Amino acid sequence: MKPVYIAGAGMTRFGRSEWPLMQLASGASTAALKHANLGEIPVDGVVVANMGAARVNKQTALGSALVDQLALYPATAESVENGPASGASAFKVGVQAIAAGMADVVLVTGVERMRVVNGLEGTDFVASLSHPEAEYIYGVTLPSLAGMFTRLVMDRFGVERKHLAMVAIKNHEHGAMNPYAHIQQTVTMDGILTLPEAAVNNPPIAEPLHLFDCCPVSDGAASLVLVSEAVAGKLGGPKVRVAGIGQATDTHTVHEREDPTDLKSVRLAAGMAFDRAGLAPSDVDVAELHDAFTILEIAESEASGFFPRGEGHLALERGETKLSGTLPINPSGGLKAKGHPVGATGVAQLVELVWQLRGECDARQVKDAVVAYACNFGGFGNNVVASVLQREA
Amino acid sequence: MSDQVLGMKCTSCGTVSYPKHAVCPNCRQETFEAVAIGGEGKVLTYTDVYALAIDYETRYLRLAMAELDDGIRVTGHLLADDPKLGMRIRTEIGTVREPGDKPIQGLQFHPI
Repeated sequence: MKPVYIAGAGMTRFGRSEWPLMQLASGASTAALKHANLGEIPVDGVVVANMGAARVNKQTALGSALVDQLALYPATAESVENGPASGASAFKVGVQAIAAGMADVVLVTGVERMRVVNGLEGTDFVASLSHPEAEYIYGVTLPSLAGMFTRLVMDRFGVERKHLAMVAIKNHEHGAMNPYAHIQQTVTMDGILTLPEAAVNNPPIAEPLHLFDCCPVSDGAASLVLVSEAVAGKLGGPKVRVAGIGQATDTHTVHEREDPTDLKSVRLAAGMAFDRAGLAPSDVDVAELHDAFTILEIAESEASGFFPRGEGHLALERGETKLSGTLPINPSGGLKAKGHPVGATGVAQLVELVWQLRGECDARQVKDAVVAYACNFGGFGNNVVASVLQREA
Repeated sequence: MSDQVLGMKCTSCGTVSYPKHAVCPNCRQETFEAVAIGGEGKVLTYTDVYALAIDYETRYLRLAMAELDDGIRVTGHLLADDPKLGMRIRTEIGTVREPGDKPIQGLQFHPI
């Protein structure tokens, strides 16, 4: 395996966008290409991550379409649909091409434009990743799987609604410092949990999860420029290396898992990523976790190896995962505040980490970050990609 | 419309799986006999979900995962007014989704 570096990262602001699908994709791509400052060095391949365009935008073959938008012919082009893990999967495809010596420069862009359909249709399109006969026909949606998971975790490990609210408050604080975030406002414990008005402000979505436990539905795109060691050497500037990627799958239905509270796929993917990187969870300076629901940040922080099982909410309570803590989690605001354009999310997590490792995050900068970790959680844990990045001196 | 929910029993090792797979998750053999899934059991977890997909006109759905006494786990509709973790239930087959005019039958959990 040849070493792979990330030379550029860019994204659009997440939120409700008037831009058509391919304008979002090309907007993020040109930002990343400018960031990489490739000059005359050609882009050999393009990989586009997306989940729903075939259904909600009536467009397919997005890789070819992006090559055309950016006039990068005859670069190779692929599209990756892998549910909510599409972003990091596309990243992995790009990394593999360079690691195998089949390309020197690969552009990886994740894009989703899902606000064009109404909420019911949008929820249904994401729910189509569930098991068609054993889950989907019952009206199972992602929030419902998260709600059932949360109730079990609360019962078993003593997680309370205040802990879920702490994740939301922290991530909205971070998001308020991120000009790319969908929601750039802070929230308070009073406003979403304690005061009587909280019942109105923060209605139930899938008990015990409420509105402020769930990420918003967003449009947006994010993009990375991956390069070989030879190209990284020519470009100069800060060097961010892809230290390790891990991936693991689990049963399609959640009910079939031996312990439905155990995010086994996260555990396996993280273990593989850290092994390949020759690093340990304790080496990580900053992490982006897939907090589509607040409970997932807590559960993934344990399954990724940062905290013992059942103790993630205690670390959160102690402030360890704040920007000022020992392991800042989701400095970007996470999916909770930054937003969740499904196919773009896995790429956007890595965009934030590249900016963090290069020291380009202004108010939300994690000081002296050298090792970064991302967890892109697909399905309801049936397909997880974990990545470790490292800045080289 | 089917009036039962089917799982599969591996003819080689006897493992019952629900939902069905093309290959037995236990012994990797590929021959099965269909078995009806259902009976009595307990609620493993549940939620009232307000973020509904298409095809529903109710305000929320009460969904649950249940563990049946034979060890099989299932997802379905919980028809209980006062749901609790661990509560005893029995399964019935009923309409769980109605896309257009074609009702889909599936598992409903009733308190015992």
